[in-house]
Formats: sequence, C-alpha cells, structure tokens
Amino acid sequence: MLLLIIKKEILAALRNVRLQIAGIFLIALMLVAVLLGRQGQQLIHKEREKAQSAMYDIWVNQGMKHPHSAAHFGQFAFKPKPVLSFLDVGLDNYTGTSVFLEAHKQNEILFSAAQDSNAMIRFGEMTMALVLQILLPLLIIFLTFNIFSKEREEGTLKLIYAQGLSMRQLFMAKVWATYVMVLAIFIPVICIAYFLLDYQSVSMDPNIGLKFIGLTITYALYFLVFVLLSVLISAFAKKSSISLLSLLGLWIVACIILPKATANLADKAYPTPSQFEFRNTIREKVKNGIDGHNPRDERLNALKQKVLDQYEVSSVEELPVNWSGIAMQAGEEYTDKIYDREFTRVENIFKKQNRLSEWVGFINPYLAIRHLSMAFAGTDFDHHTAFARAAENYRRAFVKKMNKDMELNHTPGIAYGDYNVGKEMWSSIKPFAYQLPDLTSILSKQWRSVAALVTWLLGLFFIASIFSNSISKI
Amino acid sequence: MKNLIHILQFEWKLLWRSNMLKLLLVVMLGAGVYGIFFGKFEIEKQNIRIAEVKEYEQGRFDSLLTWANLDTSILANKEKYLKAVSPEGVGWRLHFSHCIVNEASPTAGLCLGQRDLFPTYYRINLTDLARQMNTAELANPMKLLTGNFDLSYVFIFLLPLLIISLFFNLYSDEKEKGTLSLLQAQAISLNTILLDKGFLRLLTVWAISAFLLVLGFLIQGVSIANNADIFFQWLLVIFAYTLLWTLFMAGIVALKKGTAVSAMLGLGVWLITTLIMPALLNLFVSANEPLPNRAEIIHAVRAANNRNWDSPKSFVLEKFYEDNPQYSQEDTTHFYKWYYASFALLDKEANTIRNDFNTQINKRNKLIKKWEWMAPAAMVYEHLSKISKTNRESHLHFMEATHDFHDRLKAIYYSKIFAEEKFNQQDLRVIQAMQRY
Repeated sequence: MLLLIIKKEILAALRNVRLQIAGIFLIALMLVAVLLGRQGQQLIHKEREKAQSAMYDIWVNQGMKHPHSAAHFGQFAFKPKPVLSFLDVGLDNYTGTSVFLEAHKQNEILFSAAQDSNAMIRFGEMTMALVLQILLPLLIIFLTFNIFSKEREEGTLKLIYAQGLSMRQLFMAKVWATYVMVLAIFIPVICIAYFLLDYQSVSMDPNIGLKFIGLTITYALYFLVFVLLSVLISAFAKKSSISLLSLLGLWIVACIILPKATANLADKAYPTPSQFEFRNTIREKVKNGIDGHNPRDERLNALKQKVLDQYEVSSVEELPVNWSGIAMQAGEEYTDKIYDREFTRVENIFKKQNRLSEWVGFINPYLAIRHLSMAFAGTDFDHHTAFARAAENYRRAFVKKMNKDMELNHTPGIAYGDYNVGKEMWSSIKPFAYQLPDLTSILSKQWRSVAALVTWLLGLFFIASIFSNSISKI
Repeated sequence: MKNLIHILQFEWKLLWRSNMLKLLLVVMLGAGVYGIFFGKFEIEKQNIRIAEVKEYEQGRFDSLLTWANLDTSILANKEKYLKAVSPEGVGWRLHFSHCIVNEASPTAGLCLGQRDLFPTYYRINLTDLARQMNTAELANPMKLLTGNFDLSYVFIFLLPLLIISLFFNLYSDEKEKGTLSLLQAQAISLNTILLDKGFLRLLTVWAISAFLLVLGFLIQGVSIANNADIFFQWLLVIFAYTLLWTLFMAGIVALKKGTAVSAMLGLGVWLITTLIMPALLNLFVSANEPLPNRAEIIHAVRAANNRNWDSPKSFVLEKFYEDNPQYSQEDTTHFYKWYYASFALLDKEANTIRNDFNTQINKRNKLIKKWEWMAPAAMVYEHLSKISKTNRESHLHFMEATHDFHDRLKAIYYSKIFAEEKFNQQDLRVIQAMQRY
C-alpha cells in the first residue's frame, strides 16, 4: 500500500509538464555549473601552480647574495584552488590569493577576485551549491505545496483514509515519494561531479573521497529537512494557495533575507577592528614591547649581554659568531609573537562572527548547509586561515635559516657585501607545499552546523509523528 | 477619464481593504527602514575610521611643522629639526608618509556598493608606490560574500517581489472568485479594467519607493535640496526598474493563467533575472578569462630593486636623468640621489605591468558588460553604485588620484633632493595642502 502511494505520487509528478520543465532546467543548470565550474577550477589551479613554481625558480636562481638580502628578496605563496571548490566556490572570490613572504614582516594575503571584478560579482557565482541550496528547495516547494490540499479539494483523501491507511502512513509515503524524486535529480549529477574530480591535485587535499561523501550526505540530509518541512506545512494549510504563499515566504526569508541580516548582525555583535588600529597596535608593540615596558633598545641590549656572557667575551667584535644574525633572528621571533597575537585576535573576531551564523543554523537550516558545504569544499574561512598559517610558517622557517647561516658563517670582520651564498643555499629551502586540512579537522570545527541539521531532522520527524495523524481529511 | 478615476477609486478600496496589501507594505517598509539604518551605521563606521586616520595624520604633520621651527642651536632639537626638513627622510625608519583619503559621497550609505572591498585611504611615502598600495581593510570574507542589506538591496531584490505579489492574481483572482463575468458584462472593456488595475498597482509601487527614498535621505541626513541631481537619478533608475518589472508581470497576466501558475512564473522571472543570470555570467567569465596574477607587480619591483642595488650608481642615475631632464645633473655618485632615483625606476617598471593588467581586466569586465542586459538587477546595482560613487570605477579614480598625489610628492621632494636643499616652512605647507583630507 505504502509503495503504491509512493509510486502514484511519483507518477503524478512525472506527468506534470511544469515539474518536468523545472526538473530538467535544474539538471541542466547543475550540469553547466559542474562542467564550467571544473573548467574554471582547473584554469585557476594551473595558473597558480605555474606562478608558484615560476617564483620558486626565481628564488633558486637569484644568484650570489648575502642570506639576509635573500630574505628581503623574499618568496611568494599562492593559495591552491581546492579540488572541490568547483562544487562550492564559497569565499574564494573574496579572499586573497597570494602573499609576499619577506624578512621582518607578516604581509596580508592580497588580491581577491572581487576587487578586480565589477558589481556583477556581488550576485554570486553559479555553482552546484547554489542550485542545491537555493533552487532545489524551490522545486521541493512546487512538488509539495498541494500534495495534501489537492487530494482534499478533489475528495480523494477521504477515500484513501477509508482504505485503512493512517494519516501518519500517508504523510510518510508522500514525504518519501518527494524525497525519492529529489534524489533522482541530485544523485546522477553528483555522480558526474565525482567522475570529474581532479585526481592529479588530490595530493594537496587529503581525504578528498571522504570529503566528497560528506558533502553528498549533508546535502541529502538538507533535502530531507526541506521535504519534511514543506509536506508538513502543506498538510496543515487549508488551501493550496495559502500553503504555496507561506512556503514561498519562508523560502525568501530563509534563503534570501535572513543570511544577509545574520552576517550584518554578527558584524554588529563582534565589531571588526580597523586596519589603522591593527597596524598601529603592531607598530606600537614592536617598538615598546608586548607589555609596553620593554622597548626595542633594551631588549637588544639584554640579548647582547647574554650572548657576550655566553661566549665569555667583552665586545661584539670578539664573538666567534655574527651578532647581527643573532639579533635579527631574535627580532624576528619577537615580532612573530606580536603578529601571532594580533592576527589571531582579528581571526578570532571573524570566527566569532561566523560562529553566530552557525548557531543561527538551528533556526535557519540554509545557513547550516551553507557553512558545511563550504567547509567540505575547502572554501570556508577556516581553510583560508589554514593557508595563511602555512604560508607564515614557511616564511618564518626560511627567514630563520637565512639568519642562522648569517650567524654561523658570516664571520665578524667581513663586510656585508663580501659574504655571499648561492644556489646550494637557496635550493636547500624546499618549495612551498600546502595541504588542506583533513576531514577530522573540518568536522571538529563544523560540529555546530552538523548538530543543527541533525536537530532539524529529528525535530521534524518528531513533530510529524505526533501531529500527522491529526491532518484533516476534508 | 472619469471611468479611469472611478475604477482607480474602487480598486484602491478593494486593495486597501484586503489585508494583503497592508501586510506587504509593512514588510516592505520594515525592510526599507532596516536597510536605511544599516547603510547609515555602515557608512558612519567608515567615516569614523577615516576621521581617526585624518586626526592622526594631522597631528603628525603639525608636529612636523613645529619641528621645522625649532631652534637648532639647542642640541636636543637638532634631530627633530632634521627629521622635519630633510627631503631624504633623515631620522625616519621608513621615511615620512603622507595620507590620501577617499571620502564617502553623500548617498554612499544608500548603496554601499563595492566600497567595502577596498581601502578608504592610503598612507604613502616617497618610495615606490606599488608595494605601498598593497593594503586592504580588515573584513570578514563571509560578510563580503553575503553582502550588505542596504536600501539598494531592498529596491533591487525585494521591490520586484512586491510587484510580483501585487500583480500575479490580477486576472486569475477575478476568475477564481467568479467576478470575471461581471466585469466582462461592463460597458468598459476588460482590458481597460485590467490596465487600470495594473496602473494603480504601479502607482502604489512608485509611491512606496519614492517614500522609502525620501526616508533614506532624511534618516541618513542627506539634504535632498543640495543633492537634487542624485535624488532624481536614483528616482529615475528605480522607476525605470519597477516599470520593467510591471511589464514583466503584465506579460504574465496577459497569458491568463491560474493564480498558482502566475505566481510561479513571476517568481521564475525573478530567479532568472536576479539570481541565475548574474551567477551564470560570473561563472562563464571566471571559467574562461583568468585574472592577472597581481603578485607579478611585486616581483617586478623586487627584481628591479635587486638590479638597482647590484649595478653601479651611475646605472640608475643615468636612466633617471634621461626620464627626468629637469633634474639633469652630472652627479652620478650621490647616495640619496641614487637612492630615490632608483624608486622612480621601480615605479616606472610597476606602471607598465599595471597598465597591462588593467587592459586585461577591462577586457574581462567588458565581456560581462556586453551581457549585462540579461541581468537587469545587476545593471541597476551598477547604476546605483555609480550614482553613489561606491562602484569599482570610483575606487579606480581614487587609485589614479593616489598615483597623481605620489607623482606630485615626488616632484617636490626630488626638486629638493637634487638641488641638495632642505624644506622650508613654505614647502611643508605646500605638501600639507596637497594631502587630500
């Protein structure tokens, strides 16, 4: 009996020309998004890879130089385009793409695509995620808004009830029927996407298969939430038009209005500091010490005394090692501490802002899927900071190596210009290779959104099981 | 004419007495007022930050002016005096930097546009400009992605939804309520009645959008009288946009479909024009037209810098004298002359690449422009941000102004450096007057 009802619902929908058109339109849109998206991902990925290796070649072939001059010459880190970013472009158009790594200074990651595009970019980029998060729910609404009211208006609801089927069973049958149709649209396209995965760049993206499966499962859950919600509203709406209007209203609020309002509210709740204040704090702390009572000169003098005592000599000239090298590395390490503090402070503010919208996922499932999808695709804020951290660690390591070489090998008495090293030194610094965070790290950061989706699902099943028997038959 | 007024009167009564209109208007007004206040706060935040920078910079420059007046016979004053009057930047760790600010236009708060993507000020000194302009305001990319809930957003995204909900059952409602045959029995043709009904709704939409716009100007404290041109440009764009939407809906009503189908069609048009088309265009462009790798500029500058340091001083100075005959001198060994001339070479190098990049980006953006008509919402957004000077072009103008400012700074500094002179009070005042704040 249940299967019969499911079959009937699917047949009825398949025979509906409007739904046919809508379904085909969505599939076509997703195919375009997947194919073009992959092309774009490949294009950007190759460009960045090329730029990264070209810049490394320049570093290796920079000629004979003092190691500290080389540290000033610097290197670049380019942000790799994540393999799954063609499914959800996430923040990628708004985050910087490369960073200049040089001595003494932690630079910002600059040059976002949005800065080079005109206003159109603010309308978003077509990806599979956009179709699945925003458009597919609309299809669900059109599939379900009259799923009960139509039978009620035609009087068939009573007949079915008379066959001995409880309203709860009927409700679930309609839910599963709709869900099967949604999956029939979703699964083929996601399979195609799977075969398009770029296996050549998988090395930078651990657990890519698991991430892909995670993405698929989350979307499947999200659709179930939406199906349950719309069948529920349709079951209790008196008329088809009322159920349609309230569903569309909900959709507009959840997918269009609320996300904007949430992001704006988060910025109000946890205000972002200004660049001016940020840079001034760093400058101030470098100059006067982290606590404000430890100026640069005093820090340097204390260090000098310590080194002199260690080697039991009375002046810098008598040291067997290069004092400037030691002083510079100490300076680096001190500023690193300040950079870490200040950058982390800003990062934490952004994380708090994002967390607020993750919590709102309990009210608006669209926000939950949005965060999860970006996280699996490797295009969310946590991935951006992971890249920033990797680039910064790379900078610190190679600058340290340059300073160390200067400390040990640039013997006192030799002029700055007369101590030079070459290719052997430069190629001892391995090229920058960044790996995206793995699945556990993603899930540990995204548990709020996972919890929100699961809560929605359980909550809706619970409500359905309690109230579905009281659905009116006439 | 009499008939028209008659129909309008009664239709208005019907509209007003159905609570639907009241509800929609309340929602629309609520969203509009929220958008106005949000834009106001956002732009005030920017202005406060700009004011902070200006105050700080003013203070720094004022102390420079006092230092230039110090009595140098006192030893303790000597260092400060030299810091103030040396064009070579003696005593500064990284030279003295000057500030140029991009003030918000009066109506920037109504359409925040692209302003949140760019720095609102640059602090620059005599050294090469390219590396100094690589700054960004701190912003959560999540917020940038989600965008701003300002008045332009309400007009572009939400107003069409109001129009759809006012129009979708224009015909079908009469049919489904059974009043259609009554109308058909009237002396006036059904089409006239429907046209009048549509006209009334358009007037309602125009009234509410004009009201919101006036409210926006009032709440944000922008004088309409002083910015009448901006006000009317806004009004014109919004009236045209709403008219376009009315035409879309008229087309849908003319199909004479049922209520649900008409609503879905309206929503479909909305989805395609405001969501799907812009997103597809963006996807198409990003998949086919790569953006230039801006790191190239930084690299070119550092490579040129390397070359300058590795070559004899005459290498840089000869090139410099060639480009700048006004400073032509025989001196090819002076450290500071060489030092600053080498930055001028870096600027030249960077500008060549910058121009190439701009050509490439313009080509890319032209491609989008060519297809923009498919996405009227994006067109309107582009227009409104242009009127409010918050679009990307406005920022490019600011960048040009910054380049110009840097060139003029260099002209003053170089004339002193190459004449081996110090600044006097007058020079400093000229420089202060050049800073745009």
